[in-house]
Amino acid sequence: MLQVQGLTRRFGEKTAVDAVSFDVPSGKMTGFVGANGAGKTTTMRMIMGVLTAQSGEVLLDGRPVTAGDRSSFGYMPEERGLYPKQPILDQLVYLGQLHRMTQGDARSRAQELLERFQLGDRGKDKLESLSLGNQQRVQIAASLLHRPSVLILDEPFSGLDPVAVDSMVDLLREHTEQGVPILFSSHQLDLVDRLCDNLVVLQKGRLVTSGTGDELRAAAPRRHRITVSPDAGWVREEPGVTVIDVAGQDAVVELADDDAAQRLLTNALARGPVHEFSRIRPSLSEIYRGVSQ
Amino acid sequence: MSTMTEPDQARQNPVSTSPAPHGTQPPWLIVTLREVMVKAKDRSFLISTLVTLVLIVAGVVFNAYMSDRGNDYVVAVSSDAGESVVMLADEQGRADDGNTTFTPLVAGSDDDAREQVRSEEADAALLQGEGDTWTLVGKEDVPSGLSSGLGISLQGFALTANAAESGMSSAELLAGSELEESLLEGNAENQAVAAVAGFAFSFLFYLAALVFGLQIANSVVEEKQNRVVEILATAIPIRQLLYGKVMGNTVLAMIQLALYGGAALLALNITGTADLVGSIIPASGWFLVFFLFGFLILAAIWAVLGSLASRPEDLNNNSMPVMALIFAALAAGLFASGQLLVVASYVPVVSSVAMPIRLLSTDVALWEPIVALLIALVTAVALLHLGEKIYRRAVMQGGSALSLRKAMKLEQ
Repeated sequence: MLQVQGLTRRFGEKTAVDAVSFDVPSGKMTGFVGANGAGKTTTMRMIMGVLTAQSGEVLLDGRPVTAGDRSSFGYMPEERGLYPKQPILDQLVYLGQLHRMTQGDARSRAQELLERFQLGDRGKDKLESLSLGNQQRVQIAASLLHRPSVLILDEPFSGLDPVAVDSMVDLLREHTEQGVPILFSSHQLDLVDRLCDNLVVLQKGRLVTSGTGDELRAAAPRRHRITVSPDAGWVREEPGVTVIDVAGQDAVVELADDDAAQRLLTNALARGPVHEFSRIRPSLSEIYRGVSQ
Repeated sequence: MSTMTEPDQARQNPVSTSPAPHGTQPPWLIVTLREVMVKAKDRSFLISTLVTLVLIVAGVVFNAYMSDRGNDYVVAVSSDAGESVVMLADEQGRADDGNTTFTPLVAGSDDDAREQVRSEEADAALLQGEGDTWTLVGKEDVPSGLSSGLGISLQGFALTANAAESGMSSAELLAGSELEESLLEGNAENQAVAAVAGFAFSFLFYLAALVFGLQIANSVVEEKQNRVVEILATAIPIRQLLYGKVMGNTVLAMIQLALYGGAALLALNITGTADLVGSIIPASGWFLVFFLFGFLILAAIWAVLGSLASRPEDLNNNSMPVMALIFAALAAGLFASGQLLVVASYVPVVSSVAMPIRLLSTDVALWEPIVALLIALVTAVALLHLGEKIYRRAVMQGGSALSLRKAMKLEQ
């Protein structure tokens, strides 16, 4: 497990990341969300040691992370970085060797990853001759090449078409199955919903919330949908019920506790037929929107 | 490639669980090898190296051909005395280097002789005037070899004639006027070779310092600009990256130097002008060592300049100090002499050219190059160390180009 504890970084007067702590559990995908400028990239750069934290630390399996540990991490920086004028396969092999792979191993692994992304026959091409989406795939291959022990990915899905997103997701799942902790930032909340076991939300350099989906859902307000005939307007008068929305037969309400829910249902049945009464499970993106308002 | 996995197989077993075999090369060596390989595959680099090689060999061959060929002068004369002077010059020319000949072209009159010069049948006309005065007439100029050759033979001719008039032989008249040359250091032929070799040293160092120095700076900027450096920095200590780059380009510079030097020596041997080459071999050996140390210093500076820039264009602005240093080395090699050269031979970088030149032309005590080398070595180590500090801070910094002062203040 990767743990971030009290990481802080100031640039001059501005505090970009302010005492942020969260966990990235092994074998889980943790989504890292927040508006632009919330401090996601700065946090990731500190985790990778590219930027020095002014206070706080990063722990791997309970002990402070070392440069040796970090060289086994896979990292995809926000500003993509590879050599535009070099052949793809050559530069992947070079990066693999720097990550202490043998040349032969790096070559076969790079070829394997390129084939996964339908780029198997482009190995000799210069990076700049590829479309931006394909360059992005090569960038992903670069971060996965050395069978990383931890993955820190800054916006890995931006610029990918749906097919590439799917093969990327498959690849990442293979890594979590091996117990690799993955932290990735994204603005695509639908993807975060689909992929994440965990969510970390930053706002203006501070941690807003973090936890597993279930934990976050449990902490979120309890909302129910109720559909009755002939009209749901009466729910406004009910005690312990905050109405979010009423339209004809439908109402979405926020209930203080279970008792309030039971009372509402009993009263509804007393007034006429009830077609639906259900708890709304908020998506992670809804939770994100809720906490970052 | 037997290790290559088939695509289908890859899908079934994409993430191998067995521990990967570990590479054992130190990171700086991997960086060094890449720097060399990338350059070795760079077509424009290969072409420019090849063209330079051809130019060097052609230069040596052309030089040998020219010095072999000597000159053949045709001199128009209108008198017997004139003809005798030209014949005498021819005799002396053949005796001196065997390559310079003088052929008299007898004309009926002075005007005819002038006409022959005008129509370029003759290179010059030697005309006898009133009262033992002689005039050498050229068209637009008189070749210096021609006028000096004729001047000497005219003196000899006049001497013989005057001696006969006074009843003495020319040998008697010249008795006691023999001046022999003796040099305390080296010999005259050695000096000529030393001058050529000194020029070659200066120029080779200048060329390498610019070409490979810029290459280092550009490769640093490239990684900084593309942000590859962020990935590299997470894989290996950034110091190793710097050392690898410096090493790689130093190796390339040394290989190129060896190629150029080797080609020149080979060409000298083949053309038979190699008899004097032996005298420059020891100085050339020193030059290789001084070149290495001087280049290391420049490499560290270039790497720092690269890390301060944010785009390759920024290098034009911030490379002034190192360019000045490189020009100083070139200027010292070409123009410095005496006390100035002695001082220059201890200044790091400049010493790379100045000390080998001193070693070529004068006797230098063994401790002198060793002290100069030590100074250069200490400077190189100090600069690499300092360079590493600045490089580490500046290379992670995006945005606009940095000044040295700003870079030193940066937090990592």
